[in-house]
Amino acid sequence: MELSRRTLLAGGFAAMLGSTVVGCSSSMDTGSTKKNATGNIALWCWPGGLGKTVLDDTIAHFPDQHIKYSEIGGDFKQKLVTTLNGGTSIPDITGVKGEDIASLLPQADRFVDLKTIGADSFLGDYLGWKVKQATTLDGKVIGIPIDIGPTALFYREDVFTVGGLPGDPAKVAEQLKTWDDFLAAGLELKKSNPKALIVADATDMYGTIVNQGTERYIDKDNKFIGDQDHIRKAWDTAVKAITTGVDGKTLGGTPDWNAGLDQGTVPTVTGAAWVALDIKAACKTSVGKWRVAPTPSGPANFGGSFLTITKNAADPAAALEVIKYMLSADNQAKAFADAQIFPSAPAAYDKPQLKAADPFFGGQVPIEVFGPAAKDIPIAYEAPLDTAVAAPFTDGLKLVQAGKKASDAAWAEAVSKAKQIGKRQGVQ
Amino acid sequence: MTLTATAPPRTTSTAKPGRRRSIWSYWRFYLALSPFYLIFLVFGLYPVASTILLAFQKWDGLGARQLVGLQNFRFLLEDSTFWLSLWNTVVLFAMSTVPTLAIAMVLAVMLHSAVRLKGVYRIAYFIPNITSLVAAAIFFAAVFSTNFGLINAGLRALGLPTEDWLGQPWGIKIAISTMIVWQWTGYNTIIYLAGLQAIPTEQYEAAKVDGAGPFRTFFSITLPQLRPVVLFTVIMSTIGGLQTFTEPQVMVGNSGGTGQSGLTVVMYFYNQAFGANDYGYAAAIALSIFMLVLLFTAINWKLLGGRGRQ
Repeated sequence: MELSRRTLLAGGFAAMLGSTVVGCSSSMDTGSTKKNATGNIALWCWPGGLGKTVLDDTIAHFPDQHIKYSEIGGDFKQKLVTTLNGGTSIPDITGVKGEDIASLLPQADRFVDLKTIGADSFLGDYLGWKVKQATTLDGKVIGIPIDIGPTALFYREDVFTVGGLPGDPAKVAEQLKTWDDFLAAGLELKKSNPKALIVADATDMYGTIVNQGTERYIDKDNKFIGDQDHIRKAWDTAVKAITTGVDGKTLGGTPDWNAGLDQGTVPTVTGAAWVALDIKAACKTSVGKWRVAPTPSGPANFGGSFLTITKNAADPAAALEVIKYMLSADNQAKAFADAQIFPSAPAAYDKPQLKAADPFFGGQVPIEVFGPAAKDIPIAYEAPLDTAVAAPFTDGLKLVQAGKKASDAAWAEAVSKAKQIGKRQGVQ
Repeated sequence: MTLTATAPPRTTSTAKPGRRRSIWSYWRFYLALSPFYLIFLVFGLYPVASTILLAFQKWDGLGARQLVGLQNFRFLLEDSTFWLSLWNTVVLFAMSTVPTLAIAMVLAVMLHSAVRLKGVYRIAYFIPNITSLVAAAIFFAAVFSTNFGLINAGLRALGLPTEDWLGQPWGIKIAISTMIVWQWTGYNTIIYLAGLQAIPTEQYEAAKVDGAGPFRTFFSITLPQLRPVVLFTVIMSTIGGLQTFTEPQVMVGNSGGTGQSGLTVVMYFYNQAFGANDYGYAAAIALSIFMLVLLFTAINWKLLGGRGRQ
């Protein structure tokens, strides 16, 4: 009895190991993609990824395509990757989040190169730097941008004027041209109001400065460049905020941040257009006291997603027509009015939905700041490993922020850790 | 599906002919048992086996897998972040388990001798355990927040200096372990209470006759009698404590906060797999967690179970 049970288990284990090997060898075989059934288009996105009105309108506009929309909650990328590996029920069109696009570019052969099916004719309608994010090094374009996240400086007009700083957005833009100006203004503000620290969180500020650059941590030749001047300068600016005492050390999204926004102890937020939603949610008493000015030292981008067509799509050309319609400038303006999805097609910035004044910002028209910012975002190559390599730098800055480490020591450690992570994945 | 098809023929071919009938005559029992084993094979053993295999491969989640031998483990040995996360895990485990079990024991003894409202107390102590982890973590993050947190408000009221709890390495650990203690004390109290109720009253009566006081009774009768129960709770706490994930993840984020002080091994595993798409390396970390739990369980077993078996 015992002997046979053991052999049964051993046999089962062997069979299982066998099937594991078979399982992984079959997943290696990416050449034989099974086409989806024709006659309908399966569309995947995450909650709030596409404006509801536009989505309903698109589905009605293409009755013959039988668009089936699935809203996928939770970890979207993980679910997409699992489905792509599984090989069945793969959507024809799927959203890909901005933070995931770089890591999916090496798998571009899972997606249709949109240039081969005629996307060339309207790719120019979208912001060039954004399209570039979905372009492989050998020139394949796998996604059409849904939205973008241009940054601006959100600030409390009342706190600024009481603290001896200009309150008018145009004057703020003029005085806070660079980060150095910004930090100097912070010292000024702190003198009259010690509770109002101009930098919400220095690590956050560091991330913004890196995003303002044209180079990141790894270059196109897969070489580590995170130890070079462009990163060190961002680091030093953040450290300056810490050492001069204008850093509030208040992480975005925390209870302290939410309360500080409304009470004026977090008088500025440097963030993407969609951060306005978070600020609005946190503020009850300071409605109308917020303003928007250009980001010091130029605009940056945080987030913004894409629509892609998988290799499994039955009719890629028809799928592209759907995308083209859904992401037209008119529909992007509607999606903005609907769900604050910031348009990736600059033509939309002139539409009435975006020209509206916002009472939360004291009647200011935010697009007058975001529009020029969106067109002016620098192009930087983002390697698939970028996020992983960036992590030690923010971790190091946090230690400096907490007073646990000196800037130089933390920098040296961050560089060596980042190099090690890169080495693990074949970065030179 | 291959499993069910290939496994039975092997059994029959190796078993002796005379025994074959006796095995098949039990088929009903095997059939009755099979749902668990089949589900376990698919959702338990298969993932475990493929994790072991994956630990020797390089895989980004979508592309081709590439065998790399022991490379992942070599990186693991050199990876200071991994060792830091291991250290954090063990420290958090000690900082949470020791108070949890000590408080649970005291509460259980008190509950055991309580006369009224036993049920009410039992429910009250158990409720934290069935509270949503994420909701509780958000709540605790608010309690420990710097400017508007309850703890700092209390300190301020007492005229004591406040602390940037979630911004300081030790503050993070204290906040996380406080939450674990809050969540698991009630659970262990209920288990100890059940153990206490199983101790025969004759022993207590005999102790009373011999003139033993409450402390003597506790250390000479209650604690030794509870040894198997304590072993159970220690092992369960070890397995749970070494896999701490949600509490730090919600409270200080994926990076683990200042100095990565809240980064546990499971969080590091999660970051490597689903953040950095380095599934092979993550599998190697997962295996190390398995070894760690095994090691700690063996130590507990030796320390607490050893004498009882002799």
